[in-house]
Amino acid sequence: MDPLILSRIQFGANISFHILFPAITIALGWVLLFFKLRYNATGDSAWMRAYFTWVKVFALSFAMGVVSGVTMSFQFGTNWPGYMETVGNIAGPLLAYEILTAFFLEAAFLGIMLFGFRRVSNRVHTLATVLVAGGTTLSAFWIIALNSWMQTPAGFEIRDGVAHATDWWAVVFNPSMPYRLVHMLLASGLTVSFLIAGLSALRYLYGDRSESMWKALRTGVFAAAILIPIQIFAGDQHGLNTLEHQPQKIAAMEANWNTGPNVPLVLFALPDEAAKENRFELTIPDGASLILRHSAGGIVPGLNDYAGNHPPVFPVFWGFRIMVGTGLLMLVVSWSAAFFLKRRHSLPKPLALVMVPMALSGWLATLAGWYTTEIGRQPWLVTGVLRTADAVGPVAGSHVALSLAVYLILYVLLLIAYLGVLVHLALKAAKDGDTSPLPGVMNRPLSQPVAQPGETS
Amino acid sequence: MSFDWPTLLPLIFAGLMGLAILIYVILDGFDLGIGILFAAAEDTEQDTMIAAIGPFWDANETWLVLAVGLLLVAFPLAHGTILTALYIPVFVLLVGLILRGVAFDFRAKVPAGRKHRWNRIFFLGSVIASLAQGYMLGVYVLGLDVGPGGMAFGALVALCLAAAYAAMGAAWVIYKTEGDLQKKAVLWLRMALVLTALGMVAVSLATPFASARIFDKWFVWPAMLYLSPLPILSAVLFLWLWRQTFHLPKPDDRHALLPFLTLAAIFTLGFAGLAWSFYPFVVPDRLTIWQAASAPESLAVILVGTVVVLPIIIFYSFFAYRVFGGKATDLTYD
Repeated sequence: MDPLILSRIQFGANISFHILFPAITIALGWVLLFFKLRYNATGDSAWMRAYFTWVKVFALSFAMGVVSGVTMSFQFGTNWPGYMETVGNIAGPLLAYEILTAFFLEAAFLGIMLFGFRRVSNRVHTLATVLVAGGTTLSAFWIIALNSWMQTPAGFEIRDGVAHATDWWAVVFNPSMPYRLVHMLLASGLTVSFLIAGLSALRYLYGDRSESMWKALRTGVFAAAILIPIQIFAGDQHGLNTLEHQPQKIAAMEANWNTGPNVPLVLFALPDEAAKENRFELTIPDGASLILRHSAGGIVPGLNDYAGNHPPVFPVFWGFRIMVGTGLLMLVVSWSAAFFLKRRHSLPKPLALVMVPMALSGWLATLAGWYTTEIGRQPWLVTGVLRTADAVGPVAGSHVALSLAVYLILYVLLLIAYLGVLVHLALKAAKDGDTSPLPGVMNRPLSQPVAQPGETS
Repeated sequence: MSFDWPTLLPLIFAGLMGLAILIYVILDGFDLGIGILFAAAEDTEQDTMIAAIGPFWDANETWLVLAVGLLLVAFPLAHGTILTALYIPVFVLLVGLILRGVAFDFRAKVPAGRKHRWNRIFFLGSVIASLAQGYMLGVYVLGLDVGPGGMAFGALVALCLAAAYAAMGAAWVIYKTEGDLQKKAVLWLRMALVLTALGMVAVSLATPFASARIFDKWFVWPAMLYLSPLPILSAVLFLWLWRQTFHLPKPDDRHALLPFLTLAAIFTLGFAGLAWSFYPFVVPDRLTIWQAASAPESLAVILVGTVVVLPIIIFYSFFAYRVFGGKATDLTYD
């Protein structure tokens, strides 16, 4: 078996599994901080119940993110030694800064955030939450900087076949970095918003009408409703940035074969790379030109200009459509839910039923988006600098096949267990409602549920 | 040897990487050890043992990320050579670490009936990760020999490192618990010490005989004299700790932290011996740290960050240990 394709599948599987969890923790840290600050301001213990429910999700997601992230840091060496040998001078410092400034920060204060509630003052506990949330975001900053550099490298020169940094500012803030960072942070925000809204809707369907459920539900729905239009705008800007710096990726995303004006927007097609054409095409005239160039006569790049040097069309084309389609669905669902919560102060059952599966819509859109941009970078590992095929290591295909098979089984089982725990936590919270006893903070006792007459505690 | 930056920087980074590995082995050593000892503990004891490491394990594992990260960023050539040669054991290690890490969280969150399953997975993950690390150490010591001899030696070191981790775990339990569990941990420590000592002797003997170069570094006069404190001090500490296990726990819980500190000192001595053996090679007898190093300007960029950040990391790590200081109680999210 070909170690190259197996290694690619393995890294793809690994990073797909990994990104699911940072996509949650990056934004969930800030949501937890929001719950905490609301509690600090109002003294309403429902906020703290929401915090305790979701901090468990954070802890579990964080652990999943850590173990899958550690796996990737080893796979750079086990499967892709050519990567660090060629661009190690650039990638190295960015990864090192991620570890030094973000990983340790998160890891050290996570313990206090999770288990330190009764051991430190309320202020220190809030500070720990801030530092963990800041750490996850900082981690995203560094890794997005590296990923963007691989897409649109800048600030370096090649000496003896090895990349050397000449301008670190240009390396970090390379052309696609600000767009990708904003796009990803918003994606994380949406993933978490829909996850919270969806699991709260599940509680709602199970008859939970507790204050903590309403607070979480409203937080999720309103955050989603606010973030989704911003994300659509940011995504569009990101696309224009890609058009400027990686036109072959845009050509694949639009499945446009010939460069020219009046390019239609392809809604549905089965791109056929051998014949260099689309089958079963469904199009809107001038659509792509209008979106990308803001005029019907705008020139849109075509794949035929990049023969042998463009990414595989089918996955990029469809990945992009799945992402955009999911995004539009998110817009409809979150705005409907926001309307009912705001105007009617209720949630219709059918809508709640739709929101439950939409809990994972953020995952779907994030994965589809990453597939679009990462497969869209092929055949390059680092655009114009290093081809993916040149970075793969000398490991036997059978070894990679073995590890790939075990990873896949492991990831599927862990994903099932993870989703099972999320549902379990939601149903447990639904059962407890507002009656679960709350512990006191060290210097700030929480109000306890009033004991029923005749009950002794 | 001239003392300019291109000479010094790889040296500094080799030192930093060594430090990260040592800290990892000591800190995650007790986490993994507690996982190994899980098999010998009762249900309620398991909860206490988890409480003794729960707030720390994540930060402890981060030292491994830093170590492999430094190998990756400072010695890219060595990173590729070592990790491709150790492809399968690294893969096994990662599976172990994945299982161990997620089991921590799952066991506390799944419905009560499923907790046992995750306890078993926690044990299994810890054992797998420890064995894999020991195996990799053994194979590395023999110069990345993956023939039958190397594999057999790797298997021996795997067992001994797992035992050493179990000793660390037991020592940590002695420090963090009281009562019956603490007494039990003293017995665990005594048993694990035997295999730990055997492992250290095996690695110490095998290393010089596997490579003539390393033999010449140890067994020449006067280096022998300067180096003699390493094995002698290790032996003294071992014997002293062995004696202590017959007196622990002491009244008022005095010296509860001593076994852990003693083991940490023994690990440090052993590590120093290994470092002396392999210096200046990062891939035994193939690549020196200078041949494998990244460009000096990239190393300088990392060094600046490291010098600023590392003291802060150490400071807040101590803070976290202080917050969760004292005997471990039930770990709750609230």
